[in-house]
Amino acid sequence: MNELREKAKELLQNGTVKVIIGYVEGTTPNRTKPFIARSVEDADKLVFNKFCVNNLAVYLTRKEFKQNGVVGIVAKGCDVKAIVQLIQENQVNKDDVYIIGMNCSGVVSDLGEEFNENTVAVKCLHCTVHTPHLHHTLLGTLEETPKHEDKNFALMQKIDSMTAEERFDFWEAEFEKCVKCYACRQACPMCYCEKCIADKSVPRWIESSAHKRGNFAWNMIRAFHLAGRCVGCNECERACPAEIPLSLLNRKMGMTAKKEFDYVAGMNLNTPTLVGTYDVNDREDFIK
Amino acid sequence: MRIGVFICHCGENIGRTVDCAAVAESCGRFPGVAYSIDNKYMCSDPGQNVVKNAIREKNLDAVVVGSCSPHMHEKTFRKACADAGLNPYLFEMANLREHCSWVHEDRIEATKKAIELTRIAVEKVKRNDPLSPIRVPVTKRSLVIGGGISGIQAALDIANAGFEVVLVEKEPSIGGHMSQLSETFPTLDCSQCILTPRMVEVYQHPKIKLLTYSEVENVEGFIGNFKVTVRKKARSIDETKCNGCGNCQQKCPIKKKAYSEFEENLAFRPAIYVPFPQAVPNIPVIDRSVCTYYQTGKCQMCVKVCGREAIMFNQEDSFVTEDVGSIIVATGYKLYTIDKKPDESAIKGYGEYGYGKYKDVVDGLQFERIASASGPTSGEILRPSDKTVPKKIVFIQCVGSRDEAKGFSYCSKICCMYTAKHAMLYKHKVHEGEAYVFYMDIRAGGKGYDEFVRRAIEEDHVKYIRGRVSRIYEENGKYIVKGEDTLSNMPVTIDADMVVLATAMIAQPNAPKLAQTIGMSYDKYGFYNEAHPKLRPVEVSTAGVFLAGACQAPKDIPESVAMASAAASKSLVLFGSDFLEREPTIAKVNESVCAGCFYCQKVCAYNAIEKKEIKDRNGNVVKVIAYVNSGLCQGCGTCNAVCPSKSVELIGFNDEQIYAEINAL
Repeated sequence: MNELREKAKELLQNGTVKVIIGYVEGTTPNRTKPFIARSVEDADKLVFNKFCVNNLAVYLTRKEFKQNGVVGIVAKGCDVKAIVQLIQENQVNKDDVYIIGMNCSGVVSDLGEEFNENTVAVKCLHCTVHTPHLHHTLLGTLEETPKHEDKNFALMQKIDSMTAEERFDFWEAEFEKCVKCYACRQACPMCYCEKCIADKSVPRWIESSAHKRGNFAWNMIRAFHLAGRCVGCNECERACPAEIPLSLLNRKMGMTAKKEFDYVAGMNLNTPTLVGTYDVNDREDFIK
Repeated sequence: MRIGVFICHCGENIGRTVDCAAVAESCGRFPGVAYSIDNKYMCSDPGQNVVKNAIREKNLDAVVVGSCSPHMHEKTFRKACADAGLNPYLFEMANLREHCSWVHEDRIEATKKAIELTRIAVEKVKRNDPLSPIRVPVTKRSLVIGGGISGIQAALDIANAGFEVVLVEKEPSIGGHMSQLSETFPTLDCSQCILTPRMVEVYQHPKIKLLTYSEVENVEGFIGNFKVTVRKKARSIDETKCNGCGNCQQKCPIKKKAYSEFEENLAFRPAIYVPFPQAVPNIPVIDRSVCTYYQTGKCQMCVKVCGREAIMFNQEDSFVTEDVGSIIVATGYKLYTIDKKPDESAIKGYGEYGYGKYKDVVDGLQFERIASASGPTSGEILRPSDKTVPKKIVFIQCVGSRDEAKGFSYCSKICCMYTAKHAMLYKHKVHEGEAYVFYMDIRAGGKGYDEFVRRAIEEDHVKYIRGRVSRIYEENGKYIVKGEDTLSNMPVTIDADMVVLATAMIAQPNAPKLAQTIGMSYDKYGFYNEAHPKLRPVEVSTAGVFLAGACQAPKDIPESVAMASAAASKSLVLFGSDFLEREPTIAKVNESVCAGCFYCQKVCAYNAIEKKEIKDRNGNVVKVIAYVNSGLCQGCGTCNAVCPSKSVELIGFNDEQIYAEINAL
């Protein structure tokens, strides 16, 4: 903790960064909240622990930060994936971000919970970037990540084995809960469009009513817009008040990208983005 | 709105299956439609006048014609609208022929569908905006790729009309395959004698910029405004200093290491060489793969004998950029070499003919060199193996051609003629010799062609056997050719001294690569596709690009030359005006909502998306967004599809218009 605060002070003091996006203790136990440190005093409040769940990369695309010169950000490996993807998609200037990479051995699946082998987030079970793959400075030490059974994956397999009708019914039941609050969109670092297609009214692509058509249109379009781009931070599912298992969709898309194109989003600044590249040898037989 | 709807019978084409009068009547009741009528031929002069008069008299502000494909007559009707004072883009076409009458039989259902199709067009036209064409300047300069006879002809035609030409040839000399030929059918005039003056003319022409030993690396832009990058491969010679004296190649100690490409591997060439004595330009290249200096760092004999210090061992590939308005592709063909030098695209077959195994089993181009006065035998017909005069030669046609099982299904077209010529040349030089030709059919369509083959048979007594050869093997210094005479139903065995295979003409192995660079389509064999097999035989689907010669399909010299002149004239048509008018239906970015992810830039096939900085009042960059270069955009709509926030739209096909069409159904 001290080394993070010291580093933050140093960066703010010597002018390397104007602000640092990080975490501070929450108001109740086992919680943290996002925080913008603007001064050395602010830096003393920064923390990093098992409850630093939020993907702070979502703030990098905010207009107020884009005008701010170099922005420091406290980032776990999964957050760095988002930053890499944002740089690739021209949303963040590589030279305008200073990544304080944090060694992370796992966070809780939701705030307020105790951290133990049962509550570690599913994404941490398969994490390949416990040590951030891109950073300007690296802090923290690694411990062993607690493991539990990946129920999420078991459910995905179950859905895969369903008939098309059963699968449709499954998602219809899930999407029926959607109230179109768009919290998933707001929490997602990849949803940075100035005007979301959901807000377009001439013509209206996505029905805003609670009709099945609108429910499917919104959730499916969001899933497709994230295909090959989603870094799996799972903030959308955490933000969803209706508890729709959005990670199933995104994870499935990610697995397809890995299997069919050997592509994982946000891993390498120099790998061309999946959706942005065309190769005559691209497979298309898996699209049915 | 006051929309006019015009339903065409297309003679019987639409009228047979669709009740056009009923369609017109129904459409008249659509909201916004002020006038609706049917006509036997809308595209005819009286038909067009119906449209024009209605626009004026009924005060129409939009027009829908239900007729054939827009491909066919959109331009016709747009012009009719413009003539009557209506913006031509306030016009829509409903395809009642290809999309309806031609594909349906039930008159009632087809009529219903025709009404629906027209309704879609009416809903679209309600949302159309008046547009005006984009005018772009034309660079009156042409690029010709390939310096064979086709490329030479095209370059000369354009240059003689007074326009500049850049001629790019990948080999060290222009001339192509024609320079290798001995005599040409059906007149038996010497190939080099008629070709080399043209080559020299190209070299000396003030309007032609010749880039040999060069390849097209990249093509950007569009009709009238191409930007082409050419790689000048390192010759290792300073072209400005070399005077072509030839001392270097005479003194080069590499004598028997490299086969001459020009002599089709029947002779050797030095490491520093000009491909043939009449080469244009007469400047050598160094083959770095065999040159002693590049292999060991020693020798430098050429440097010692060169009086002009022209040898440049450290020369590197260089790049030149050329601005041109049109591109003529004349990259020619390659001869199918079976498994002698198998390349990836070649099929493997005909091992039973012993080609590559027996020295005296040669292909057509090799025989050309043997028969050529400038060839390795100075024109004497000698066997490659022991340099004796063959007393019996068997010629086999259709090796690889018209053979779906082992080769290619197409006919190579020239083999019947050149085999007759080969046999004739042999008989003229070796009077007592016997020539046998195995053929499937004789295809000698062309002026004087059949007479030529008859002459080979009747005057020169070449023995034609209709049938295929099953096997060739060596026995006591003879090549035993086992075949079948299908006319007498008898097996045939000939003990030949030499065998000549008329192997198929195939596309250049790198043809697909160039096609992708330029944006052309090609068939499954790698031959480039013309835009229309009958009416646009020298154009390709990319505007401003034309084809000449055997890169499009197997062809003989007269056809190639004719095609080259046709391609040249198409270029000249383009150069006839200072400006080109382009369709205004291109992409447009909504700058207020573009988030600048630039996925559009990544997927744009025409490099039409640029970055644009949006600045505030103080000049600070607020955001960077996508911007469409209207000169480059082809209106394909790919950006439209990939944009996650739908911040880019296609003018004339925007989301609102398309939605209206769908909702009209």
